[in-house]
Amino acid sequence: MATLAPGVKTGPYHAVLDHIHPEPTSFIRRYIFSIDAKVIGIQYMITGGLFFLIAGLLAEIIRAQLMSPTGAVVTPATYNAIYSMHGSAMVWMVIIPLVSGAFGNFVMPLQIGARDVAFPWLNLAAFWMFPVAGIILFSSFLVGAPDAGWTEYPPISLQGPPGTSLWCIAIFLVGVSSTLTGINFAVTMLKMRAPGMTFTRMPLFVWAQLATSPLLFVATTALGAALAALFIERTFGVPFYDPAHGGSPVLWQHMFWFYSHPAVYIMILPVFGIISEVLPTFSKKPIFGYKMVAFSTVSIALLGFTVWAHHMFTSGMVPWLQLPFMILTMLIAIPTGVKIFSWMATLWGGSIDWKTPMLFATAFLITFTCGGLTGFFLAAVPADYHEHGSYFVVAHFHYVLYGGSVMGLFAGFYYWWPKITGKMYNETLGQLHFWITFIAFNGTFMPMHWLGLMGMPRRVAIYDPQYTFWNQFASISSFILALSMLIFLYNMLIWTFRHGKPAGPNPWGGRTLEWMISSPPPYYNYKKIPAVLAAPYDFGNPLPYIGLDAAPGAVEATPTAESHPVPTH
Amino acid sequence: MAQRVVKPKTNLGPGFWPITALIVVVSAIMIYFTATSPWPVGLIPAGEPAPATDSLFRFLGCVAAFIFNVVVIYTIYFGIVFRRPKDAPPHHIGVQIHDAPVLEFWWTVIPTILIIILAIFSVKIWDDLQNTQGDVLTVEAIGYQFGFQFRYPKLANVVSGELHLPVNTPTTVQITSRDVIHGFWLPEFRVKADMVPGLITTIRITPLQTGTFRIVCSEFCGVAHGAMHGTVVVQSQADFAKWFKAQGATGTSATGGAAGAAVAVSSGSASAGQALFQSKCTACHSTGEFSQKIVGPGLGHIFNDPAHPKLVNGAAPTPANVAKLIHDGYTGDIGTMPSATVNAINNTDIANLTAYLVSLSKK
Repeated sequence: MATLAPGVKTGPYHAVLDHIHPEPTSFIRRYIFSIDAKVIGIQYMITGGLFFLIAGLLAEIIRAQLMSPTGAVVTPATYNAIYSMHGSAMVWMVIIPLVSGAFGNFVMPLQIGARDVAFPWLNLAAFWMFPVAGIILFSSFLVGAPDAGWTEYPPISLQGPPGTSLWCIAIFLVGVSSTLTGINFAVTMLKMRAPGMTFTRMPLFVWAQLATSPLLFVATTALGAALAALFIERTFGVPFYDPAHGGSPVLWQHMFWFYSHPAVYIMILPVFGIISEVLPTFSKKPIFGYKMVAFSTVSIALLGFTVWAHHMFTSGMVPWLQLPFMILTMLIAIPTGVKIFSWMATLWGGSIDWKTPMLFATAFLITFTCGGLTGFFLAAVPADYHEHGSYFVVAHFHYVLYGGSVMGLFAGFYYWWPKITGKMYNETLGQLHFWITFIAFNGTFMPMHWLGLMGMPRRVAIYDPQYTFWNQFASISSFILALSMLIFLYNMLIWTFRHGKPAGPNPWGGRTLEWMISSPPPYYNYKKIPAVLAAPYDFGNPLPYIGLDAAPGAVEATPTAESHPVPTH
Repeated sequence: MAQRVVKPKTNLGPGFWPITALIVVVSAIMIYFTATSPWPVGLIPAGEPAPATDSLFRFLGCVAAFIFNVVVIYTIYFGIVFRRPKDAPPHHIGVQIHDAPVLEFWWTVIPTILIIILAIFSVKIWDDLQNTQGDVLTVEAIGYQFGFQFRYPKLANVVSGELHLPVNTPTTVQITSRDVIHGFWLPEFRVKADMVPGLITTIRITPLQTGTFRIVCSEFCGVAHGAMHGTVVVQSQADFAKWFKAQGATGTSATGGAAGAAVAVSSGSASAGQALFQSKCTACHSTGEFSQKIVGPGLGHIFNDPAHPKLVNGAAPTPANVAKLIHDGYTGDIGTMPSATVNAINNTDIANLTAYLVSLSKK
């Protein structure tokens, strides 16, 4: 029996899950209303993926409209509804559920050596709120979709069509879902790590999820309050935001951004985690500066709470208040820079295997850096007086959310797809998808930088003819970007299942826990909870990463249909 | 952990220093062109604060170009020279280095210093903007769905769509909205402020050249948001004076005309006025600063607020003019105040209210 290294504590592992239920035999209990975090993770992937396709089609309508300065496709009213729904869906129904719900549920319990999340039934409830919320959101098209942007600033949103109220309900519901997920994940990571998995041995994806979960359950509550007030004002006329009756429109902006700025980190921190997994595995090197990368994740999460009003430099708030928000915003560049440099240093001296996940992760370094640098332009208050509300902002947040989150999500999909399906995807198609995506992405969003600086405002259905060329350039690039998605879908959903070779437990030679078990993982992940003997990504360490028999008191899980015994702590 | 020892100085990788030199050279070229660019955002600087903001853009551009080159060129270079050899054995691994505290120290400290410099530079320009002289000319800009209106204190009528300004004249623009939030963006001046209903925001500009420039609505405001434009017409002082006169400048409104003659202002009782204020005025007005708006502004310093030297109707804040305003009521783009008749108050009440307001301003 291998033993834990001397001086390593056994970790917070509790024997609660030594008792497990047998795998459900009914299809509905196993795959529809499942309490298995892996199944729930895949459900998030499917649902979020479907919403991504819908919201992506909305984006293509936006770009089609902007092929002509007078608007090529739809009326301005329809256009406003389409871009508002595009933004709302992408943020709440696609990226947040994918980065935390999908990958968090599938990967995180595997990586910490747990058999499930702490509260599986809560997980089930949280998941099912999400498709319901998505259906409510998209059904607002039937009654008049919200048309004031994903930010829905009052007073214009108070006059919005009936769908705006459905929007409130849908976002509130998905907010409850992510609050529950945040609590569930935090407890799971704090209480259910395998023996030997100390904080300094946690994979960085787990660190990222741990830093994200308090954002989910603290910030989202502020959004819930703001949405409830908006709904009440729209429905019953209680004036929270309408200045004509004594409300304050700026109140909404504060409450909205108190959530929505941390939401940016909800959308990007887990992706940082994905990048921190992919880069060392394909470089066959330990992540450079593990502690600093983990620490910078936590400090970004904390600082993320203190900068919301940098979205409001032109909103008419007290001028002196702009300065602390500017300086705090700039401070975030320090931990972010530490991360970027650490990732670059991870590449240095590696034995880099240029597989598709690695291409996406490296492209992330470049595109996310661009988004970060334009973030600096926006943080500097006097420059923001020019840039606010322009296409420069659109360029900036698409570099962060597409060049950052979506690129990282692609890396994560290619990286863990063999683990999820047990089969390999087609590498050639994957690389083709990467190159088309990378080039078309830059072609779509790069021109928006100078369009904005030269005076084109965002959220316009028609525009000044002087901007025609670069808008058409962006639109055509975006059509190519959409086509590249077809390659991805074909590769992952058809080719992999028809022709993919069996992946085996560890196709990439990874050194984190999820690669130590079969692909796809068995129902309860680990028949015996493993003991973690070393740091992750430590490819040069001759010692094994885990000892399957090493956990003191590790009991082989035996399925039983009895009621739960009282947990002993 | 035996692999922690490395000697980075001797083995940084083939071509590391030439690549570093390339980064320096490319950055120097980009910085040169950014720093000397007359139009860093591709627009002419038509007036203050554009020159100051452009210098900030140049500085940001230089820093961004340097960091961009460092990240992109090194990343691509590492990706090429450290790619896995074709004939590598299956367990081929990279250099097992875990960290390098000295390196990490410097790549934390150098960006921090850059950020401090940038923050100081930004704060300085911000401070310049806040303390820019305006006030030689004051204009009120009111957004509505879907256009802009401008009011000049000495003009009786409202100008729609076109903001006329005399060149080289420090100008304060007071910005608000009549319905929803709009954005008041002057791209050629590099400045904007949201037009928020119920709130007055101030920006200061000084046109530096004559010509016609754009006003763009930069906050979504409804179905015709994309079509919401205005124009700034910057004219020579003489042309502006001619235009101003043609618009029917009253030239006398600073005095506000005769006050409500029947109101004996001096006889008012502040305590009686206070009770009346509670019942008649507090629905819309606070007794705090101007900015403490309910529907109308706070009236705590109506007589001695240097930021608001005129009443809403353009008259000077004398007790007589305030009494007249209460008597006549007010209807304008930023709202409506009922007249004394509607409010059911007589001239004694007006005198009491005025006395109360005077007592507030003395506090």
